[in-house]
Amino acid sequence: MKGLLKVLSPFAPDQSGAAAVFYDMGCITVICDAGGCTGNVCGFDEPRWFRNAKPIFSAGLRDMDAILGRDDRLVDKLRLVAEKTDADFAAIIGTPVPAVIATDFRALKRLAEKRCGMPVVTCECTGTRLYDIGEEEAYMQLVKTFADTSAEASGKSGILGVLGVTPLNISSIDGDELIRQHYKSQGYDEVYCYGMGAGLDELKLAGCAEKNIVIAPSGLKAARYLEKKFGTPYELHYPLMPVNVAEAIKGIENARVCIIHQQIAAEAVRQQLEQKGCDVTVASFFEMKKDLRRAQDVALETEEDYQKLIEEGGFDYVIADQLFRRAVAADCYKEWIPMTHFAVSGKLEEAQCAL
Amino acid sequence: MDNKQAYYISAKDLAARGLDNIPDQLQSSKHLIYSSPATLSFNSPGAQGFGVKRAGLAVPGSVMLLVAPGCCGRNTTMLAELGDYADRFYYLLQDDTDIITGRHLNRIPEAVREVVEFHNPKPSCVMICITCVDALLGTDMDRVCRKASAVAGVPVLPCYMYALTREGRVPPMTAVRKTVYALLEKRKKKSTTVNILGQFAPYMDNCELYDILHNLGVKKINEISRCADFEEYMGMAEANFNLVLNPETRLAAEDIAKRLEIPSIELTRQYRLDKIHKQYQLLGGALGVNIDDSRWMKETEEYIDGFRERHPDLEFAIGECLNADSFELALALIGYGYKVNEIYGTVSGENFPYIRQLAKVSPETRIYTNLEPTMLYYDCSECKADITIGKDAEYYHPDAPNVPWNREVQPFGYAGLRTLLEEIEEAI
Repeated sequence: MKGLLKVLSPFAPDQSGAAAVFYDMGCITVICDAGGCTGNVCGFDEPRWFRNAKPIFSAGLRDMDAILGRDDRLVDKLRLVAEKTDADFAAIIGTPVPAVIATDFRALKRLAEKRCGMPVVTCECTGTRLYDIGEEEAYMQLVKTFADTSAEASGKSGILGVLGVTPLNISSIDGDELIRQHYKSQGYDEVYCYGMGAGLDELKLAGCAEKNIVIAPSGLKAARYLEKKFGTPYELHYPLMPVNVAEAIKGIENARVCIIHQQIAAEAVRQQLEQKGCDVTVASFFEMKKDLRRAQDVALETEEDYQKLIEEGGFDYVIADQLFRRAVAADCYKEWIPMTHFAVSGKLEEAQCAL
Repeated sequence: MDNKQAYYISAKDLAARGLDNIPDQLQSSKHLIYSSPATLSFNSPGAQGFGVKRAGLAVPGSVMLLVAPGCCGRNTTMLAELGDYADRFYYLLQDDTDIITGRHLNRIPEAVREVVEFHNPKPSCVMICITCVDALLGTDMDRVCRKASAVAGVPVLPCYMYALTREGRVPPMTAVRKTVYALLEKRKKKSTTVNILGQFAPYMDNCELYDILHNLGVKKINEISRCADFEEYMGMAEANFNLVLNPETRLAAEDIAKRLEIPSIELTRQYRLDKIHKQYQLLGGALGVNIDDSRWMKETEEYIDGFRERHPDLEFAIGECLNADSFELALALIGYGYKVNEIYGTVSGENFPYIRQLAKVSPETRIYTNLEPTMLYYDCSECKADITIGKDAEYYHPDAPNVPWNREVQPFGYAGLRTLLEEIEEAI
């Protein structure tokens, strides 16, 4: 049955993706929920939070707030916080509750900006979609609202922007540093990882980047926007590799391999394997962008889709998060190579290296 | 107060304001809810400890079908890794159309049937957990469950994980306590059987309450968490009376009294020695017997005396993520001669009497709430804490020794108090 999970458990939802993108932006993040969604974000989907808790607030909606659509109350509460913090802007993230009552986020944004006297961005997340959709919307809201070319006036140059850098995509809370080192070694003065490390000041310089790198599908739409608006070229490239995967694929040649991950990370592994004569299928429950998708690739929708792919695909190797392993018979592949995906299992990769 | 200072109010000032004039800062409905590690159990009870999802699986052999958007089941990935829960969660994910039209309701009976056929062995019952979406849609889940039960051939019950109604008349944790006893059917009573209702994990094995009950002639003491199988669970219907040790179980006890004619007696978890004693006397009075708790009382009294000699000057900070009422525990510690400088708690009508007493014995004790946005600016250097109790309190004073006091096995009575002091001693 579509939507019925008997073995797998739900993946990171859109509000977690949006919250991840806003995490290092120095904003007031408000999750428009009754409390549980915020708890899920902070307690599960945002691994940075336990190390360095950032101001994430729950709207604390109660039944009558939802039934009566009391947006003004939410805005008043936001104003109280805005008065006591130095945040440059606020981000309001949707959840199933506003989705059910059809909250008008545009009106909410205007009202909040007026009363709080600061820019407000909103993400109409519903909790029914996956993290990459939430990330994509958050990136779009940010670049549309803040990105400009002010760096030209300040004389900054040699900037590389990296989009899609969140723990949900890279399964690491310090992998952004590896990414910065990697690209700085290629001659860039500044490497801004939007989503991890780079804040609003860096985001404002996005219009002046020499180039953008997109490391996950969630960053692609924003990269295209920046290309259109500022002429910034972009490339799809995933610069990290889990150490265990790098080791494991050394011994693989001329094999049939299935990689399940976010599409750009999976593509990076595929390129390595194809140099060694492998026939590689990339599959994902998340967005599969046309730019990278090949004829054999599979956009997974249901648990059964996944089980059928692995059990009937005749793969020698499956490279995927361990959580997927329990849903298929152990004898339908030769070897399982774990490639952690935080958005799937909520686990972090043990060690990664730059490609 | 400084614009960037965590809000607090002294016990004296709060008591003077009265229950009808609690400051907005202490009322969660009046401000955004700040999320810090200290608030996690408030914001997501399903993620830690016993939330609705874990609690719903208290019935032996049951499985749960969570009918919700994917986000509501996300943290269950973590729960599924706990030994007892792996393979007991199933999910029917709602999409954008479902949450507007409610069309998912038509799929539930078939999904339950699939789950029952898939799960090995056949589950004793299926709990359907629904969330804010169905609260807003006004879903009649009782009707859906009846239909699902007819299709699947096992009992199907609703668990309402309605975070939106957290402060309502029947909060989710109260509702689920009623649900897990809903399958009990009337049986012949056994005068020597008693149920302890209240938690989803057992009370500590060395709790004197068990001995007291055995001394009264009770032969079988049932707790849902100790039921080995479904038949033993159904045997809870044979109890002569229920002991209710958690006020959130009151509604369940009332339902059991109505359906199965089992009366109940409510006891409160306390940490003040004299109150523990008094409560046992009251229990004896209610049962028409004399309860002799002098042995445990004396042992505990001696332990407290020794503890005081070994640790004469301790200053405490107390949180609310713990197996105690923060304010009652503060009163107890103050009564034993210690200082309680800070309490991070939720003020309510239930605990306001304790606050009035605190105002008399420790008027300057600071009362904070974990949920208020200015807790962003909490500065632990303002107040001394030699030791913190509660997982949330540890967050505020990371360098002080901490007793989390939030184990799943539940403390109660003299044994609970003694164990707490032992753990404090260990932490020091």
